[in-house]
Amino acid sequence: MQLVVNIAVLASIYALISCGYVLIYRVSRVLSLAHGELMMLGAYGLVTTASLFAAQPGVAVAAAGLLAAATGALVYWVLMRRMTGEAVLAAVLATIALGILLRGAMVLIWSAQVQHPARMLGFDNPVVALPGGARLSTISLLLVGMNALVYLALWWFLTRTRYGIAMRAAGQNPRLAAQRGINLHAVYALAWGIAVFTGGLTGILIACDAGLDATMATIGLKAFPAALVGGLDSLVGALCGAVIVATAEVLLIHYVDPLLSDVVPFLVLTAMLIVRPWGLFGSREELDRV
Amino acid sequence: MNVAVPLLQVDAIEVAYHRVMTAVQGVSLQVGAGQLVALMGTNGAGKTTVLRAISGFLGLDDARVTAGSIRFMGESIENLAPHRVTALGIALVPERDKVFDNLTVAENLEAAATPRRADRAALLEMVHAQFPRLAQLAKREAGYLSGGERQMLAIGSALMCAPKLLLVDELSQGLAPLIVQELIHKLLALRDQLGLTILLVEQNARVALDAADHGYVIENGRIVLDGDAAKLGEHQDIREFYLGQGGAERKNYRDVKQYKRSRRWYG
Ligand SMILES: Nc1ncnc2c1ncn2[C@@H]1O[C@H](COP(=O)(O)OP(=O)(O)OP(=O)(O)O)[C@@H](O)[C@H]1O
Ligand SMILES: [Mg+2]
Repeated sequence: MQLVVNIAVLASIYALISCGYVLIYRVSRVLSLAHGELMMLGAYGLVTTASLFAAQPGVAVAAAGLLAAATGALVYWVLMRRMTGEAVLAAVLATIALGILLRGAMVLIWSAQVQHPARMLGFDNPVVALPGGARLSTISLLLVGMNALVYLALWWFLTRTRYGIAMRAAGQNPRLAAQRGINLHAVYALAWGIAVFTGGLTGILIACDAGLDATMATIGLKAFPAALVGGLDSLVGALCGAVIVATAEVLLIHYVDPLLSDVVPFLVLTAMLIVRPWGLFGSREELDRV
Repeated sequence: MNVAVPLLQVDAIEVAYHRVMTAVQGVSLQVGAGQLVALMGTNGAGKTTVLRAISGFLGLDDARVTAGSIRFMGESIENLAPHRVTALGIALVPERDKVFDNLTVAENLEAAATPRRADRAALLEMVHAQFPRLAQLAKREAGYLSGGERQMLAIGSALMCAPKLLLVDELSQGLAPLIVQELIHKLLALRDQLGLTILLVEQNARVALDAADHGYVIENGRIVLDGDAAKLGEHQDIREFYLGQGGAERKNYRDVKQYKRSRRWYG
C-alpha cells in the first residue's frame, strides 16, 4: 500500500512538471530545457514572498504563483519571441542557455544552502495516515490533489474555452491561426505563462515538503523522460508517461537499490526510444485532441 | 472605374521571398466596396502571393512587400502582421490548409478571433444560417470533411472574423462543378446580404468571370490584362487561353509563345 502511495505522489510530481514541457512544445514546437530551473525559480519566489508575507501563507503562495506565471510570459516576450517559429534548434539552445544562467544566478542570490519555505511560513507539514496503513505528508497529499486539479483545469481550458481552442489551433497551424485573427505572440506567451506557473507550483510544493536547494533542477530534468515517453505533444501521454516512470522508479528503488533513483527515468526513456521512438501517444499525434 | 476611394488599393507592389526571389512585380489593383473582383492566372503566376501580401506574412514565411503600397479603407497595411490585418476587416480563405484538421467544425468556428466591434453570437448564427450543413456537422473533426464541406467551413470561419473584405484563394480547386456553382452563388449572396466585398482568385476563368464585376489577369508576377468582367470575357486572348474557345481550334501549350506576342499589344 505504501508503495502505491509513493508511486502516486511521484507520478503526480512528474505529471505536474511534464505538462509544462508538453504545453510549450504542443503550442509553439519549442522544447524548453530550462523548465527545471524555471520551476526552481518559482520555489525561490516563495522563499522571497514568504519573507515578505510571513504571517499570511496564503498570500505568500498566491504571490509566488503569480510571479511564476509572469516569469513565464516574460521569458517568452524577452527571449523566445524572436526565435519561436524560426530555426527550432536555436530556440532549444536558447532555453539551455537560460537554464544554465538561471541556475548560476539562483545560487548567487539565494546561496546553495537548503531553504525551508514551509518553516518560514510556520507550516509543519504533519503526516497523514491513510486507511490502508500507508502514511504520507500533507504536502504530498496536496501534490496528488493539485495534479488532478491542474490536469482537469487544462483539459477544461483547452477544450471548453475560446482561448484554449485558439491555443490548440495555433499549435496546429500557426499561419492559419494568425489569418483567423489570433495573436500568436499572445498565445505563446500565455502557454509559457501557464507552463511556468504549473512548474512553479510544483516547485513550491516540493520545496515545502522536502526543502529547496540546487538539486531541484534535477527533478525537473527527471520529469522530462515522462513527457517524452508520452510522446511530448499529448497531455494524456504525459500523464501515462509519468505513471510509468514513477512506477519503475519506486519499484526499482524498493526492490533493487535506492541509488538507482536518478537513473531510472532515463533507463525507461532509453528503453522507450528503442521500442517506440515516437513515444506512447506520439503516433496518434494527428488525432489526439488534448 | 468610377468608385471614388476603393476599399482596397494595391499600388505597384513587389513581393520577395527569402529576400531574393521576386515573385510579383509592379502589381496594382483596386477593389471597390461591394464589388466581386476576380484575379486570374496560370499556375505560379503569383495570385496566391498577391493575396498573401494583402493578408500579411508571418516571420516563418520569410516574405516581404519590398516596394509599393497596400491601402485598406485609407490605411496602409503592407507588411502588417496577419492578425492585425484580420482585425482591420480582411479575412483570407487560403488555398491549402484552410481549416484546423484536428479541431471539430464547431471548434474551428470558435477559434476565429472576432474584433470587439462585432457580436460573436450573431456572427455564428449568420454562419449557420448561410451554411446549415456546418450546424449539422458541428461535432465532426474537420479533417474528415469532404472538399465542399471544408470550403464551406473555411469561408464560415473567415466570416467569424467579421470581415469587410473577403479574400478567397482558388474557390474551385478540387471541387465538382456543381458545388463550385453553389459556392459562387453563396459568395454572391453573402456580398448582397452582408455588404461584403470579395477578391476572388481563380484559375477557372469561366467561373470567375461569370460572377465577377471586374477582372485582372496576372502572369509571371505582372498584371497583363484588366477590365470589366463581361468585356474581359469577350477578349480574344481570354477566350483562347483561359476559356479554351474561340479561334478555329483550341490552342495548346506550344502556342504560348505566339500568345505572349499578341498579349503585348494590350499589356
Ligand atoms: N514560400 C515561397 N518561397 C519561395 N517562392 C515562392 C513561395 N511561394 C511562392 N513562391 C513562388 O512565387 C511564384 C508565385 O507563386 P504563387 O503561389 O503566388 O502562384 P499562384 O498564381 O498562386 O499559383 P497556383 O495557381 O499554382 O496556386 C512562383 O514562382 C512560386 O514558385
Ligand atoms: Mg495559388
